[in-house]
Amino acid sequence: MTVPMGILTDTTLCTGCERCVEACRRENHLGADEPRPWKLRIDDLSSTRYTTIVRRPGNHYVRRLCRHCQEPACVSACIVGALQKTPEGPVIYNPDLCMGCRYCIMSCPYGIPRYDWEALVPRVRKCTMCYARVREGRVPACVEACPERATIFGPRDELIREARRRIEREPDRYVDKIYGETEIGGTSVLYISDIALGFLAYKPDLGEKPLPQLTWAALSKVPSLIVGMGGLMTGLYWIIERRMKLAAQSAAPDAPEGRER
Amino acid sequence: MIDRKIAVKTVLWAVVGVWVTVSLARFLRGLGATTALSDATPWGLWIAFDVMSGVALAAGGFVIAAVVYIFHLEQFRPFTRPAILTAFLGYVAVAVGLFYDLGIPMHIWYPIIHQQPHSVLFEVAMCVMLYLTVLFLEFCPVILEHSLFDRPLFHRIHAFLKKATIPLVVSGIVLSTLHQSSLGSLFLIAPYRVHPLWYSPIIWILFFVSAVGLGLMTIAAEALFSSWYFGHKLRIDLLGKLGKAASAVLFIYAGLRLGDLALRGSIGHVFDGSRQAFVFLLEMSLAVLLPATLLLVRKVRASAAGLATCSVLTILGMIGYRFNLCIVAFARPEGASYFPTWMEIAVTAGIVAAAALVFIFFVENLNVCDAAHEDRGSRPRRNFDPLSAQLLLPESLAGVRRYSLALVAGAAAALAMLPRDVWRGSLFLRTATEAPRVLAAVVEQDNGAAGAPAYNIRLAGTRHPAGDSGTIQLFLIDGNRDGRLVPFPHRLHADRLGGDASCTVCHHQALPFDQNTPCYRCHRDMYLETDIFDHNSHTRRLGGNSSCVRCHASPAFAKTRASARPCGDCHQDMAVAGALIQPPQGGVRGYAPGYMNAMHGLCVTCHKQKVDREPDRFRRAFAECGTCHRGIDGAELRRMAPYATAAKERSSAAVR
Repeated sequence: MTVPMGILTDTTLCTGCERCVEACRRENHLGADEPRPWKLRIDDLSSTRYTTIVRRPGNHYVRRLCRHCQEPACVSACIVGALQKTPEGPVIYNPDLCMGCRYCIMSCPYGIPRYDWEALVPRVRKCTMCYARVREGRVPACVEACPERATIFGPRDELIREARRRIEREPDRYVDKIYGETEIGGTSVLYISDIALGFLAYKPDLGEKPLPQLTWAALSKVPSLIVGMGGLMTGLYWIIERRMKLAAQSAAPDAPEGRER
Repeated sequence: MIDRKIAVKTVLWAVVGVWVTVSLARFLRGLGATTALSDATPWGLWIAFDVMSGVALAAGGFVIAAVVYIFHLEQFRPFTRPAILTAFLGYVAVAVGLFYDLGIPMHIWYPIIHQQPHSVLFEVAMCVMLYLTVLFLEFCPVILEHSLFDRPLFHRIHAFLKKATIPLVVSGIVLSTLHQSSLGSLFLIAPYRVHPLWYSPIIWILFFVSAVGLGLMTIAAEALFSSWYFGHKLRIDLLGKLGKAASAVLFIYAGLRLGDLALRGSIGHVFDGSRQAFVFLLEMSLAVLLPATLLLVRKVRASAAGLATCSVLTILGMIGYRFNLCIVAFARPEGASYFPTWMEIAVTAGIVAAAALVFIFFVENLNVCDAAHEDRGSRPRRNFDPLSAQLLLPESLAGVRRYSLALVAGAAAALAMLPRDVWRGSLFLRTATEAPRVLAAVVEQDNGAAGAPAYNIRLAGTRHPAGDSGTIQLFLIDGNRDGRLVPFPHRLHADRLGGDASCTVCHHQALPFDQNTPCYRCHRDMYLETDIFDHNSHTRRLGGNSSCVRCHASPAFAKTRASARPCGDCHQDMAVAGALIQPPQGGVRGYAPGYMNAMHGLCVTCHKQKVDREPDRFRRAFAECGTCHRGIDGAELRRMAPYATAAKERSSAAVR
């Protein structure tokens, strides 16, 4: 039985040294960040940067990376199943299946997946929680590189317990919330923080309902829609056809053309 | 006077010419070079128009099929074949448009084998593929009626397809219902990104209803076009009836949309004065309610001009709905915007033009619009020479001289307009320069204390006691591609970097994917922020872009960390008198080093001194990381200690 793993980032410990960014770059062979028309900021997430440090006013540093949702919108959006949620926790990407529709980028509430706009055969790029390393029982490169232990790796349940412990121990220091514990069904990447982290998503409060349920509500109606619409149209056709025939017959008897009688 | 048909076809061929060139650019250089798409706007014009609106515009096919075959309203039969042809071409155009938009177009068929039934897009893809097949089969009899297929085998196929009409029509309606509505469901997954005026749990119903209304009006638009272009007889009475039906559907749509907004309490957003609210009002009033109301008027319905106006408005409204969902109402990170490049527009226009040419070709060569003789053999058989090239492109469609010329001219014009980045495959943002300003600057060389030559540059015209030692040209360049132009002394850079041999330091002329080096490659500390110094907030507080000189006082020096005033000049209370920790002598200049290095510099230095000077009072551990970093195990800190030192050296080197 695989234990779902996760990453817990304590933003109060982060000093913004960006060693996680460098480790990620080395681990994933990402190359240098270049200015491109589609980049708002050079240090934003991009196809060459899977994790980055967001600087917030007042000396706060928040590491941004894929949240590896428990019920990921991107996975439900992917038309060919190129994105998968693994039992170990990471949401991984299979470039051989991807057709490049970019619906995953549209659907992510945190605005994480990036595209190789430059490439002729572009791929979706995002953090994979170093899936290969996790499978070997090692920790992700960014976690290994963090000198302040601001970001730690472990079974998700234990991380939640640890987070709660820290908040209970120093309630004045933290916002009383484990970010990612329950929002949109929970995420594998968790945060505790001294500032509100709503800015990481498109809306500060995403609610607790997993996003795939929203589309499933419409999608699950498809079979009944097929049967209903098909039945309705066939029925209408049959009824109108029959009525017209009957009308023609009842109008016809006395007419000279009504020879078939 | 040039014949109307020839004029239209010439224009269409020229647009196709432009499209051909841009297609080459798209498939040879990729999406990044040819589109304005970005991670903030992953779906742009091609999805909003070619796919979303294309499918909706083709809704006339299933609407008219239902009207004629299911409801037996035989009077509308004349519209069936043109509408089905338009729908078929529309869906082919959707597929072609997708081919441009998909990152990996050769995987376009993957949904067939890699099914992911939880994806709305999967359902849309399957329905579109199946419906395209259905439309082809529905239109097939028209093709088979051509004298070219006057063979017994084709007769049998024709007869079979005719018999299969009703099952085909029913499956076509079911498939259309599914994917017309599912295109709306696509947006259900992004409730936090779609503006509340557009987001709705019943968006799939809105999409379906609006597609029906749009379908009715596209049939009218098509009939009006045919009568203008081909001179077909206009059945204005029938079009009026379609218009009446469309009006009812549009009112249902508006009622559903506004009612849903009111029920969910989002109606207030209409009057919040935002850009989205303005666009919403425009979309609903001008393009939905106005044509719906106009179509109630008998006089409007009885005039070609009135019907044309209403159909154009409706088409704009329904396309606008889909456009706004994809682009206007879709939230982006602050600062990100989207406007399609001319190449994206050219591809869209090219696909439409090509579809129009195929439509004209079919109408001219097949029995599309002559409903009275829908059976084989009723039209005079024309001799067709299968060996001539005219089999594929008959004279009427591809005249050697005029149309080929238009095509080539269009292609050539597009080639001339292609941006340089596309030519060279380079995706570096181009460095914007303005013409050199000759008046620009006077340079004084000044061997400063550091020994390295420093240049003082001052604008010519301002007197300087040292006298002029030579003027140079300044280029205004946007070296960092951040929209800020700076005067750039090219000659001085060349001199400093090693004269004529130094071009390649910045201009990578030999490398195909590299144009030139941005300024910050060398000036690493440009706009650099550290945790205790925020350049942007200083700029804001001191008065924006004109405030540089408040800190970088001398225009003679490059605006670097080293040339800025010491922080202590303004922040005089930074060091409290008599405090244990004092900033270095001479003050901290310019950007402060990072928090970690500053703190380590201040604390660790003293701690080490204490251990060294008073070893009997302070144990060695006093100078170790764990003394301050409680709760972190020592092994970890010792492991990272070398990095900390290296980082400190790096940052102090940068200061110098």
